[in-house]
Amino acid sequence: MIRPNPALVAAFRVLVAAAALSLAPGASAGPVKTEHVEAELVAAKTALVPGEPITVALRLAMEKGWHTYWRNPGDSGLPTTLAWKLPAGVEAGSIEWPVPRALPVGPLVNYGYEGEVLHLVELKPQRALTVGSSVVLAARAEWLVCKEVCIPEGADLSLTLPVENAAPLDPRWGAPIAAAQAALPQPLAGWRITAEGSAAAVALKLVPPAGAADPGAIRFFPFAPDRIEPSGPQRVTRDGDAYVLALPVAATLAGPLERIAGVVTAAGGFGAVHAATIDVALAGSVAAGPKAAPAAAPALNLAPAPMAGGDGLTLALAVVSALFGGLILNLMPCVFPVLTLKVLGFATHNDTRPTLRHEAGAFASGVVLTFVALGVALAALRAAGEELGWGFQLQSPAVVSALAILFFVLALNLSGVFEFGQLAPSGVTGWTSKNRTLDAFGSGILAVVVASPCTAPFMGAALGYAMTATTATMLVVFVALGVGMALPYVSLAWFPGWRRRLPRPGPWLERFKQVLAFPMYATVIWLAWVLGAQRDNDALLRLLVVLLCVGFALWAWRIVRTGGARPWGIAGFIALAGAATIAWPLFATEPPAPAKAAGGGAASEDRGWAAFTPATVAALTASGRPVFVDFTAAWCVTCQVNKRLVLNADDVRARFAEKRVALVRADWTRRDPAITQALSALGRNGVPVYVLYRPGKEPLLLPEVLQRSTMHEVLATL
Amino acid sequence: MAMLLVAGPAVAVVSGAAAPGFTITDTSGQAVRLSDYRGKYVVLEWTNPECPFVRKHYSSGNMQALQKEWGSRDVVWLAINSTNAGHSEFKTPREMSDWVQAQGAAPAATLLDSTSGTGRAYGAKTTPHMFVVDPAGKVVYAGAIDDKRSANPADARTAHNYVRAALTEATSGKPVSVASTTPYGCSIKY
Repeated sequence: MIRPNPALVAAFRVLVAAAALSLAPGASAGPVKTEHVEAELVAAKTALVPGEPITVALRLAMEKGWHTYWRNPGDSGLPTTLAWKLPAGVEAGSIEWPVPRALPVGPLVNYGYEGEVLHLVELKPQRALTVGSSVVLAARAEWLVCKEVCIPEGADLSLTLPVENAAPLDPRWGAPIAAAQAALPQPLAGWRITAEGSAAAVALKLVPPAGAADPGAIRFFPFAPDRIEPSGPQRVTRDGDAYVLALPVAATLAGPLERIAGVVTAAGGFGAVHAATIDVALAGSVAAGPKAAPAAAPALNLAPAPMAGGDGLTLALAVVSALFGGLILNLMPCVFPVLTLKVLGFATHNDTRPTLRHEAGAFASGVVLTFVALGVALAALRAAGEELGWGFQLQSPAVVSALAILFFVLALNLSGVFEFGQLAPSGVTGWTSKNRTLDAFGSGILAVVVASPCTAPFMGAALGYAMTATTATMLVVFVALGVGMALPYVSLAWFPGWRRRLPRPGPWLERFKQVLAFPMYATVIWLAWVLGAQRDNDALLRLLVVLLCVGFALWAWRIVRTGGARPWGIAGFIALAGAATIAWPLFATEPPAPAKAAGGGAASEDRGWAAFTPATVAALTASGRPVFVDFTAAWCVTCQVNKRLVLNADDVRARFAEKRVALVRADWTRRDPAITQALSALGRNGVPVYVLYRPGKEPLLLPEVLQRSTMHEVLATL
Repeated sequence: MAMLLVAGPAVAVVSGAAAPGFTITDTSGQAVRLSDYRGKYVVLEWTNPECPFVRKHYSSGNMQALQKEWGSRDVVWLAINSTNAGHSEFKTPREMSDWVQAQGAAPAATLLDSTSGTGRAYGAKTTPHMFVVDPAGKVVYAGAIDDKRSANPADARTAHNYVRAALTEATSGKPVSVASTTPYGCSIKY
C-alpha cells in the first residue's frame, strides 16, 4: 500500500479550503459587459434549499437610449432568449416577462424594455440535492439590443449557489426581485373582460367592479405577433361603466382569430394591480385590416398606391396634362386680368410682325424659365429634406404679404391711380420702350409670379408626376406648363389673322382696364384673408395699413411727377417709410404656433369636419365608415370655390350624412410635414386633393374641380 | 370628368393583394418602375447593409445565391433600401452600389427609396422583408426570408427558405403553400 505523501495531502487540503472560501454564497461569475448591455444572473436568496423553489433573474442593464425586446417584439426585433445548462437536480421554468413598454421607431412600434430589466425565472431544486454541495447554474443569454441600429449580443452567464437547509434573502437582489415579482402582470380580479370582433377591429371591453378608480391610459400588448397591429392606435371609449379599447387587427393576420391574449397596462393601475394578463375568447369574427394600421408618427400609411403619380401616368400624359393646365391657368382670377391686358396691348401696337414675335418669344421664355426655376427650387428644397409641395411659397406669410402688396400695386395701376411710366425716372421708361424684348421677358416672370397662388385642373396630376420623376423629366413637365400658359399670347403674336379679330382700341379700353382692376382687388382681399388665417387679426391689420400707405405714396408721387408741388412727394416718401416699418414684422418675425383652422374652426361650414391626422383617418376607416378627406389650404382658390359651392352645398351635405361619411379636413395653409407626406403618398404635392375611402372597396381620388353631380355619383358607389 | 381610380390602400401589402406601383431611382440614377417588369416574376428585397440580420444572409452567401439562382430563371430581383436620408445608416447611391459589388450580390437593380414612400406603401417593416410579385402584378408571398429568426449566419444555410419555396411553386404553376409569414429583422429606418 502506498502511503500518501503528507505534503501532497496538506497541499490538497489547502486547495480545497481555498476553493470553499472563494465560493462565497451566491457567487456569480460577475456581470458580463457587452458593448451596450450589462448582463448577469442573480438570485433572490443566498442558497438553494432542496425542494423549495427559488426565483432567479436574468438582469440586463441597457445603455441609455438602447432597448431589448419583449416576448412579442412588435413590428421588428427579436425577444431575449435564455438557454439553461443545469445540472441534474435543478429544473428551470420559462421566463416571466415584466410589463413591456411600447417603443415607437418612426412609424413602427416595438415592445420592449429600456434601462434595467429583470427577466424572472423560477428554479426548482430537487429534494435529492445534497446539502453542503454547490450548484453551478449556467445559461446562454441572447438578445437584440437596438437604438438607431440593432446589434445582436449574447453572453455565457453563470451563478454558483450552495445547497443548504435554509436560505435567507440575498442582501443585494432579494428586494429588487421581490419587487419585480410583485409588478408582474396578473389576472384582473373583480373586472369582467370580453372581446368582440367586427370588420378589422376588436373591441376589448373591461367592466370594472363597483367603486374602481379610473385606470387612466390603457394599452394592450398581444402575446402573439400578427394578431393586433403594434403601430395601430388603441382608442379608449366609455360604454356606461365599462372601458372599451378599440384594437386594430393586424394587416398580416392569417387565419381566424379566436382568442385575445396578452397584457393590458393602465397608467393609473387596475386597483392594486398595475398591469393585467388577459386571455379571453373572441366573439364575432374579424378580417385582416390593411386599413387599420397606422402610425404613431406623422406618416400616412393609409395611402392608396401611388399609381397616379408613379406608375399610372406616363411622361406623355403628364406633359399633355401640364400643357392643358398651363392653358387653363390663363383663365384663373389671378392671371386673367394681367394677361388680358397684355393681349389687348397687341391691339394698341401697330408693330411689325417680327418685333411682335420677338416680344412673344421673350414673354414665353420668361414664363417657361420662371416655372422651371420654381420647379428647381422646389426640388432642391425637397432634396434637402424639406417637406414641401407645390404652393409651398404660399405657406409663408411673408410671401403672401408680398404678393398682396404686388397685386395691390398692379390693381392701382389698372384703376388709373398711377402709370408705371409716370413713376419711373424718364431714363427707365425710355429704356423699357427701347428694350421691349426685355420688358416682355419681365412680363413673363411677372405673369408666373402672379399665377402662383392659383393652380388649375390637370396641373395637380402633372405636378405629382413631375415631383417623383427624374430631374430631366421634371424639367420637361415644367416646361410644358410654361408653354401651355404662354400659348395664347404667343399664338396671337404669330397669327396676325387672330389679331385682326381683336377689337380696335378706343375709349372703351380705359373703362375695361378699370373694370379689370376689381378682380385684382378681390385677389388682394383674398390674400389678406389668407394672411389672417395664417397668422392673426393683427397681421391682417398691419397688411391693410401697409396697403393704405403704399396707395397714398403712389398717388402722391403721381402728383409730383405730373407737376404737382414738392411737399406731396415728401408726404409720399413718409408714407412709404411708414409702410416699410409697419410691414417689417410681417416679413421678419416667425408667426406664433400655426393656427390650424383656416378661417376659424368655429365657422359653421367647418362643423362636422375632423382635423386631419393619419391616426384619425386610420381609426375612422377601421370603424368601417367611409371617410372623405379634403386636402385644402386658405390660399388655394380652387379649394375655396369647391368648398363653398360643392362641399358645403345642402344636398351634398345631406348625402354625406345619409351615407354616414366621416369628414376629415387636412388644412395645409401653413407648412405641415405630415400633410405633405400624406400628399406625396397619394402621388400629389399640391392642393386640392379629395380622397374617398370606401370600406371594402378601393379608395377614389376625385378630380380637382368638383361638381355636385360628381359628388352624387361618387357617393352613390358607397 | 375622368376620375383617377387608385389601387387598394396599402398599409401592409398582404399576399393576394395587388402590388403597389412605384418609381424609384436606382444607384445609377435611372428611374425604375415596377410596371416595367409586368409579365415577369419580381422579388422585392428590403435591405440595409448595416443591419445584422441582412449581414447574416450576405456573409453566409445565402442572399447572393438566391439572387443568382433566380436571376438566371428570368426573375427580376430588386433590392430596396428605404432608410431615410437623415438617418445615420443612410447610404448614398455610390456607397450602396459599392456595397452590392463588394458582397458579390446580383440584384437586377438596387433602389434607393430615401423618401420611404415605397416602403410605407408596402408596409415593409424589417430588413430583410421579402415580397414576391407574380407576372400579373399580384403579391404571392410576403414576409420573412426563412424560418430561423436569428442573426446567426450559420442559420441561413439550415433554415427553410420561404422565398425559394414560393418561387419554386409559383413558377411551376402551383399555388404558394406558405404565402405569408411574420418578417424578422431590424426595423426599417423610416
